Amino acid sequence: MSGCPGSRTIDFSEKTDLEGSETGKRPSQLRQWPIQMHLVSPQAPYFQGKDILLAADCTAFSLGDFHKDYLKGKSIGIACPKLDSDQEVYTEKIRALIDDAKINTLTVMIMQVPCCFGLAQIAKEGAEKASRKIPVKQVVVGLEGNILSEEWI
Amino acid sequence: MENVLNKEIKTIIDACPEVGRILDEYGIGCVPCSVGSCLLKDVVGIHNLDPQQEATLMYRIEKAIYPDRKVSEPVIDTTKKSAPKKITYSPSVRKLVDEHVLIKRLLALIPTIVDYIESSIKVDKDLVLKCVDFIRTYADKYHHMKEEDILFRYVDEKADIIQVMYKDHDTGRGYIRLVVEGAEKGDKALIKENMLAYRELLTQHIKKEDEILYPWIDRQLSTTQVGEMFRKCNEADASVGEELPKKYEKFICDLEEKFLQEVAK
Repeated sequence: MSGCPGSRTIDFSEKTDLEGSETGKRPSQLRQWPIQMHLVSPQAPYFQGKDILLAADCTAFSLGDFHKDYLKGKSIGIACPKLDSDQEVYTEKIRALIDDAKINTLTVMIMQVPCCFGLAQIAKEGAEKASRKIPVKQVVVGLEGNILSEEWI
Repeated sequence: MENVLNKEIKTIIDACPEVGRILDEYGIGCVPCSVGSCLLKDVVGIHNLDPQQEATLMYRIEKAIYPDRKVSEPVIDTTKKSAPKKITYSPSVRKLVDEHVLIKRLLALIPTIVDYIESSIKVDKDLVLKCVDFIRTYADKYHHMKEEDILFRYVDEKADIIQVMYKDHDTGRGYIRLVVEGAEKGDKALIKENMLAYRELLTQHIKKEDEILYPWIDRQLSTTQVGEMFRKCNEADASVGEELPKKYEKFICDLEEKFLQEVAK
């Protein structure tokens, strides 16, 4: 059990705590394209004045109710702070989202692994560079899809 | 028990004081409340106890009210989200909590100020009126108005807890009017009585807001509302200018300095 927590092999296929309803179909709450931070433009109409979710790539696969509980009503940008290149572009895009697109709030959703906190740092730097101030929330998702913390920072 | 849940807390405590003592054990301080019109179900709900605590509390209250009744063991609602381990606030609410800190610094000085006035030959009218100015401008206009004009608008303003807050604000304004009257007349007793009453009122009021009301409001706010409220509060702050909070922070620092020297004499 040593090495980088972000790439350590963990198998929880034997997990028995599988409460929840599987009946009915859940519609997608995605209302835009593209979504990857290198591809999105802060000038896109779907960002103007909106609540934005900046989600680490893995979060959507980990959280069972990602669409219903976190994406609904928000516009989104996704990124991986461990593997993506040219991340200074992300910082500038966040600044532009705040100053130019005049977004209402920014929610940063990351996994609990240490490397993922880099995305929160990028969001923080972008927000600090912006002349407008907005509320920024950090949501940390556990490896098994549970919410570990959710607070305004 | 359903019947009791819909009764006003003051009526319940008057009929069964043990309920007040039980609530106090859970950090629910309804006994000294000046209004007491909140319904028991709202009182319990607003404190966001974890399911185990809430079930046990309700069981104990029912046993206290109906000692001869066979009350079933607590039923735990595991679907309810547990209370967070620590209180976290949205940014605008956080700022209101931070503003309380400066107000509490004045409240902490009030006994010393009152002693000073009492032992002086003549009432230091200038000192009293400067304290009144802090209370009226910083605590009331700058701080309470953001609560009344912005924060409380996001919840049901007719809710009992909000009505209690409005009543506290009004009661406080009444005490301060009498402090001014005391300063004008040179009536030390009137100043003392009302400054101490204001201190007691605001101390409890701030505690209720920081620990109960603000977290309760925060739990009801959507992300969009948090952003909207942040903008409105920033606009309200901008309308009075950056200098106002700085001016009153300096006033409190100077006052602390003055009374530190008085105590050292």
